[in-house]
Parts: sequence; structure tokens; C-alpha cells
Amino acid sequence: MRLFWSYGLFISILCIIGFYCILVTYNLIRALVGLEILIKAATLLIIVAGYITGHEALAQSLVITLIVIEAVVITVAVGIVLGIRSHNNSLDARKIRNLKG
Amino acid sequence: MYSSLILLPFLSVIALNLPFRNLMKKLAFVVCLLVLLVQISLIVCPSICIWSNDLDIFGSFLQFNFAVDNLSRVMLFCIGIVLLAALFVQRYIIDDEERIFNFVNVLLLILIGMDGIVMVRDIFSLYIFLEITAVGSFILIGFNKDVDAFEAAFKYIILSVVATVLMLSSIALLLIVSGSTSFSSISDALKTSPDSLLISSAVAIFLCACFIKAGLIPFHGWLADTYSAAPAAVSVLLAGIVTKTVGAYTLIRIVNSVFGFESSINSLLLVIGIISIVIGALAALGQRDFKRMLAYSSISQVGYIILGLGCGTTLGLAGAVFHLFNHSIFKTLLFVNSAAVELETGTTDMNGLSGLSKKMPFTAMTSVVASLSAAGIPPLSGFWSKLIIIMALWMSGFYVYAVIAILASVLTLAYFLSLQRMVFFGRLKEDSANIKEAGLGLMFPALILALIIVAVGLFFPFIINTFILPAGNILGG
Repeated sequence: MRLFWSYGLFISILCIIGFYCILVTYNLIRALVGLEILIKAATLLIIVAGYITGHEALAQSLVITLIVIEAVVITVAVGIVLGIRSHNNSLDARKIRNLKG
Repeated sequence: MYSSLILLPFLSVIALNLPFRNLMKKLAFVVCLLVLLVQISLIVCPSICIWSNDLDIFGSFLQFNFAVDNLSRVMLFCIGIVLLAALFVQRYIIDDEERIFNFVNVLLLILIGMDGIVMVRDIFSLYIFLEITAVGSFILIGFNKDVDAFEAAFKYIILSVVATVLMLSSIALLLIVSGSTSFSSISDALKTSPDSLLISSAVAIFLCACFIKAGLIPFHGWLADTYSAAPAAVSVLLAGIVTKTVGAYTLIRIVNSVFGFESSINSLLLVIGIISIVIGALAALGQRDFKRMLAYSSISQVGYIILGLGCGTTLGLAGAVFHLFNHSIFKTLLFVNSAAVELETGTTDMNGLSGLSKKMPFTAMTSVVASLSAAGIPPLSGFWSKLIIIMALWMSGFYVYAVIAILASVLTLAYFLSLQRMVFFGRLKEDSANIKEAGLGLMFPALILALIIVAVGLFFPFIINTFILPAGNILGG
């Protein structure tokens, strides 16, 4: 379990970096990078969980599936960002504020 | 037998994209219609002979644990009905073969995703199907390449991925506790192992992810934007079933079969539910956009579902499932009506609309039925589900919550009446001479949905004993 907490420290630092990245940046692509960092933290957590409990094979198959799905999600997200860019000619989040209320 | 609900749409997607695409473009609508009709007929009459057990040969290729109980059956029926309505709306609004073909492909993917969510008994497969549904929704929100829709889709992506990350972290923590990902073994492990920080944080994180996916109040930022900026047919789809399946259903399933009803979970659900009901209703009162008001009303109604779940009793669970069913029917009907209004007048801003009931009597009539059902006026279906939820709250001793839920029901009536007054009643504007009733393509789904609302309300004694109480009772069977 001590092993878990030392990995856990690193994972929580990754999480904080990811959230900070999403919250602070105005650039849409950087926000997606932040999301990627967050997903990487979760991936690492699953690997550690498999390693501690001795279910490495299960954790591996979960992680491979996860990587595939995450790639699909981020691809669609980049597609949406491209759509925004073709309308606004910029990647600045401050320029997309039509929806509120 | 039920694995064909996944395989059939999957094979149709493959068949649609094989060679002969020009032929398939003509057939796409019919294929999707057939798949959805098969799903509905399979749920309504499970004993049709063509669904013999021989199809399980195909099912053996799938490495998922599928199981179907009464709750899943209710959800599968809703999924079929709402997707059918969305398909008709899209077909009526867009008459372009190519775009219908694209829409049908993504719709079938979403169908796979939601059928999977409803049937899986494994927490990681649940995550996979949630992502399939979410990706399909992202694509459909931006379907018209409208800049507002892209903005809404981006917000939805950010919050949805954050929810996903929370869910994955929770899955990893549960993996440490139980060493497995299936519902039953996690549930057993949680019962035997002592309370610890690890378990309670895993439970809290998972519930939080479900709240984001369902758009409940502290996490509702994306929901109103998404519903109001998405194309009409996609609003029908999202509001009617997608957020209910990925959020509310997942919550019901996870709390019921994995975490179990503990007092801390129950009180969390009750508090979040009551906050969503009250703030959602108050926010809906202030809206001046047709679809935005419906979106906030959606938040408020999902609050009732969570409140019913939070009772922790069989009756409360039955009420939650019944309200989930009713909500997907009447909210779909209201969004079909808003699609008709948007198509005929070109706007959803309620300040620019007035007196439409003279020009669109059928749309006005069906939307009155749906609004009254949502507000809980007897004998429409919404009354009975709210009654069950409030009775369950009262019997469990949550008197304050029950009273607030009743009072918030008055708020529901208030915003729906103001919607009706501004859009459908009052004086007709001078420049609206060429507004006409929406065509058959929109009237047909609206008629079916209105009939379901009235029929479920009138035949309530039959329905409650046949479907709803079993759904609360025998969740395992």
C-alpha cells in the first residue's frame, strides 16, 4: 500500500497540472492538451491498481481499450476545434461567448 | 437474445458503409427505421418466434456480460421510441439524402452505445459504451456546422471528458478494493471490506461523474447551451434519452447494484436532487428561449428522478424509473413541438412568438398535453410518477423534501403556463400570415407521444402493476 501512496502522489500532481491547464488557458488546443494529461493520470492510476493487486493482465487490457477510446474522443474534439477555427479564424476561447443565460 | 440489440445496429452500420453506397444512401432511413422497430417490438412482445435462442450463436462472439431486467426493458423501450422520433424529425427537416445517411450512421452508433449502457453488468464496459454514446453526441451536436453548436459541443466535450476521468479514477480505486470490474464482485467486495478513505472517495468520485453526465445543478453548465444550440432533431435525442441514459440511468444502476443504499449516499442524492429541482425550475422561469426553458426544465425533472432514487426504498426506485420513462416521453414531445415552431417561424425566442395556436392547432394541443404531464396534472402520466416519488419520500420520513418537491411542482406549472401563454396563446402577430401547421412528418411522432402520455395516465393501474413496481422490485431478475 505504501507503493500506492507514492504513485498516488505523482498521479495527483498530474491531475493538478491537467486541471490547471484547462482552467487557465484561453487556447482551445491547450485545453485539449490538459484533458489528455488528465486522462493520462487516470491511465496511470489503473496500471498502478493492477500492479498492486496483481491483476496486471486485466489492467493491461483495460488500458489498451482506454487508449483507443481516448484517441477517438480527442480526434472528435479536435474536429470541433477546427470547426470553431474556420468560423472565428482564431483559437481564442474568449471569442466564443454567444451562449449564456 | 438481447445481444442482437447490439449486433443488429452494428451490422447495419457496416452494411450501410460497404460498397453500393449510392443504393445504401437511399435505403439508410428505412434501415434505421427497421432496426428501431425491431428493438421496440422485441421489448413489447419478447415472445415473437423469430427471436429464438439460435441468435445466441452471434452473442457468443461478444465478450460482454449482458443481462436484461425490468429496468433495462423500460429503458430499451424509451430508447427505441425517442430515437424513432428524432429520426422522423431529422427526415422532415432535412431532405438531403447525403445528410440523412450521415445522421443515420451516427444515430445507429448512439443506439449501440445506449443499448450497451442499459445491458452491461461490468463497470469498464459501462465506461466504453458511455464513451461511444458521448462521441456520437459530440458529432451530432455539431452536425449543422453552426458556430453556436460548435461552442456548445466544445463545452460538452470538456465536461464529459472530466466526468470520464473521474469515472476512470473511481474504476481504478474499485479495482484496488475488489480486484475485478464486474458489478457483482465489486458489490460483494464493498460489503465485506471495512470502510476506508479509498472506498468512500471512489464512491464519491463515481457519483460526481454521474452528476456531471446527467447535468445536475452544480455541474449543469453545459446542458442548457447544448440543448439550445444543437440542431432540432439532436435536441430531441439529447434531451429525450441520451443524458437520461448516461446520467440518470447509470446513477440508478450503480447505486442500486454496486454501491447499495447507505445513509450517506442517500442524503447526498436527496440534497443534489432537491437543489436541482428548485434551482432548475427557478432558472426555467427566467428564460426567454423556448429550447433553453425546456433544458432547465429537464434539469429540474432529473432532480425528481434523483430524489426518488435517494429514498432508498422500493417505492422510491419504482417512482424514479417511472418518472424517467415519463420524462423521456414528454420532453421528447416538447422538443418535437419546439422543432415544429422553429421550422415554421425561424426562431425559438419567445418574445418574437405569440398566438401560434391559431395557426398550428395540433402542435399547440400536443404541447399542452406534454406540459401538463410535466407539471403533474392528473390524469396524465407525469402526475402518477410524481405522486409515487412524493409518497415514497413521505413514507421514508423525509417530510421536508416531500413538501419542497410539491411546492416545486407548482413552479413547474408556472413556467410551462408562461411558455404556453407566450408561444401558443395570446394575439397573433401581424407579420405571421404565412405560418402554417408543421407537416405530417412532425405531426406523426407528436401524435404517438401524446397518445402514450394520455394512455399511460389513464391505464395507470394496469401499468403500475405490470411494469413499474416490478422494475423497482426485481432489479436482479
